[in-house]
Amino acid sequence: MIEWVHPGLIFILGALLIPVLKGRWKKIYLLLLPIVALIDLLYMSTNRGVFWRIPLLGYELVFGRVDQLSLVFGYVFTIAAFCMTLYALHVKEDGQHVSAFLYVGSTLGVVFAGDLFTLYLFWEVMAFSSLFLIWYRKTKASSEAGFRYIMVHIFGGICLLAGIILHVQNTGSIAFNSFNWGMGWDYLPSYFIFLGFLINAAVPPLHAWLADAYPEATVTGAVFLTAFTTKSAIYVLIRGFSGVEILIWLGAIMAVYGVIYAVLENDIRRLLAYHIISQVGYMVCGVGIGTAMAIDGSIAHAFCHILYKALLFMGAGVVIEMTGRSKFTELGGLYKYKYMPLTFWLYMIGAFSISGFPLFNGFVSKTMVVEASAMADLPIVWLLLEGASIGTFLHTGLKVPYLTWFGTRGKAKEPVVEPVKEPPKNMFVAMGITAFLCVFIGVYPQALYGILPYPVDYNPYAASHIIAMSQLLLFTFVAFWMLRGMLHGTPTITLDTDWFYRVLGKKFIWFCEKPLISFADSIDEKVRRIADSFVWFSKNPPVASRIMMLTVSTVFLRPFNPNPLYTRYANDLEELRKLYPAEVHRLAIGSGVLLVLMFFTLYLIIYLTYGVLWV
Amino acid sequence: MGIKLEQKHLFGILYVCLAASILADVVVKFHGQAEAQAHTAFLWQTIPGFSAIYGFVGCVLIIVVSKSLGHLWLQREEDYYEKH
Repeated sequence: MIEWVHPGLIFILGALLIPVLKGRWKKIYLLLLPIVALIDLLYMSTNRGVFWRIPLLGYELVFGRVDQLSLVFGYVFTIAAFCMTLYALHVKEDGQHVSAFLYVGSTLGVVFAGDLFTLYLFWEVMAFSSLFLIWYRKTKASSEAGFRYIMVHIFGGICLLAGIILHVQNTGSIAFNSFNWGMGWDYLPSYFIFLGFLINAAVPPLHAWLADAYPEATVTGAVFLTAFTTKSAIYVLIRGFSGVEILIWLGAIMAVYGVIYAVLENDIRRLLAYHIISQVGYMVCGVGIGTAMAIDGSIAHAFCHILYKALLFMGAGVVIEMTGRSKFTELGGLYKYKYMPLTFWLYMIGAFSISGFPLFNGFVSKTMVVEASAMADLPIVWLLLEGASIGTFLHTGLKVPYLTWFGTRGKAKEPVVEPVKEPPKNMFVAMGITAFLCVFIGVYPQALYGILPYPVDYNPYAASHIIAMSQLLLFTFVAFWMLRGMLHGTPTITLDTDWFYRVLGKKFIWFCEKPLISFADSIDEKVRRIADSFVWFSKNPPVASRIMMLTVSTVFLRPFNPNPLYTRYANDLEELRKLYPAEVHRLAIGSGVLLVLMFFTLYLIIYLTYGVLWV
Repeated sequence: MGIKLEQKHLFGILYVCLAASILADVVVKFHGQAEAQAHTAFLWQTIPGFSAIYGFVGCVLIIVVSKSLGHLWLQREEDYYEKH
């Protein structure tokens, strides 16, 4: 029995009504949809199981697999959707709201998909609907970045589809459960699906699309983008590949990779985007460790990350909205302007959360993954993850606020830029709610631990945890203060793995268009000439062959000129060429029949001697 | 003047915090044996102030290593992709 509505459907079908509504009603409607979806989810949690089964071509599509894992992700996606919609409430373009809602809805579709076909369907809708959140910025940079974004995701989608088809062919089942893992050709379907998931999780070296595209999105669109694609990838990795060892290392490296790139970034949102990669690294690592605590930690961290990263992007969005600038070399000293202290402090709540300060939500989730790595006895992973915490606080908590709200514009010490317009109030309300949630979970982690799939036996507020984290962060600050002169933005961009398709790809296209095409043309030309000569020859074969023989003879006889034979041949050749194809010599019909008969006789002889034996 | 004074106060608070975190660590490590051992997986976690050292050294390393990577290899002018 279906007793509830699919929450993804609420968003997807709900999106269709957005362009019809006007003014105040539209705003109420936009805010109401996520609330309805959340109530729906709470109702679903009382009645778990597998719902919405639709038979199709001998397979069974499952749209509603409701268990604790899908519910947790469902909750956080809907809560985040509410905060983000509130943040974007002033946006006039209906298209942005529609694509955001399709994006949220399709992500919920992925979360509740119980089979691989449904998963793939929503996976693709997710990629295409999110694309418009980038394109609506309507700049040249955003349209190009959006194009690269969708190309990467189409590639990822194709990998996923290839894996699914192979998987279904091998097993005959489309159920979306844990995949086989091992070494060798037998596991090829799993590898393809894995690759598709890794692209959406932005695991290096397949991560460049994220840092490339997110900073080019619209102010409000970027806030949506931070949450759904990467975290739904974490969800599917937990479903399909939990405990796969390579993920531990990919995750740990990823956590540090993002941090290193963040040092070099000059764009406020690109820096934050690299920290998404870094933070998702913790979750990927947790999935790889695969113990109950690590999986819980990954889910908890995804939950918290969605909230604080949205808050950070909201803060950066207010700065961009008000000043029209996003580069550190063009920002600085904003604190003294109206609304800016408020923006600063709300942003700092996000920054403290991502850094994992005690009493903020990052502390209660990140330390779970780190602790799980200690319990699995992985010292190097532990050190890498702790090191990434240092870098996270250094950039998000210190560098960004220092260079944006304090300090001067880079080394030039130019006067700061005044904000050009006032931000809409709803942005601050949204930030306030998100900030409240960050602190609430930090202070009362049981609210989060209570909804995790495995029972949590972990106390983040043990004295040793608090002391270790405080030391780590305080001494990070000391080092930052000593080296702050080195951290000014520089007007540069940083090469990343997108170089391969942006530069090498371009060179490859040039190679195809220029040398390869002219080579193909020359081959074409030669073949055409050969064909032409056949046409010429067949117009009158006896005369043509005589011309050819004469040509050869004259070439040989030319050195002995003057020579009566040469003169004769040369004259003949000239005359024949002039007259060619001349009058074609025709045979009587009988000769044709004779030729045909001869051919058949020959064929019969060959057939009787060899053909019978062959058959 | 007002800002200067404020900054001085803030740094005073910072120094107190730094000292307190180290002191608390020493106390917990040597007097709260049972509690501390429950959360110790690696040898270095028994050293008082390890996190402080790691935080400081790690931060310096991240800045220096990334900056040199950037200068030597990764950072390019802003119109790099238009030119190449």
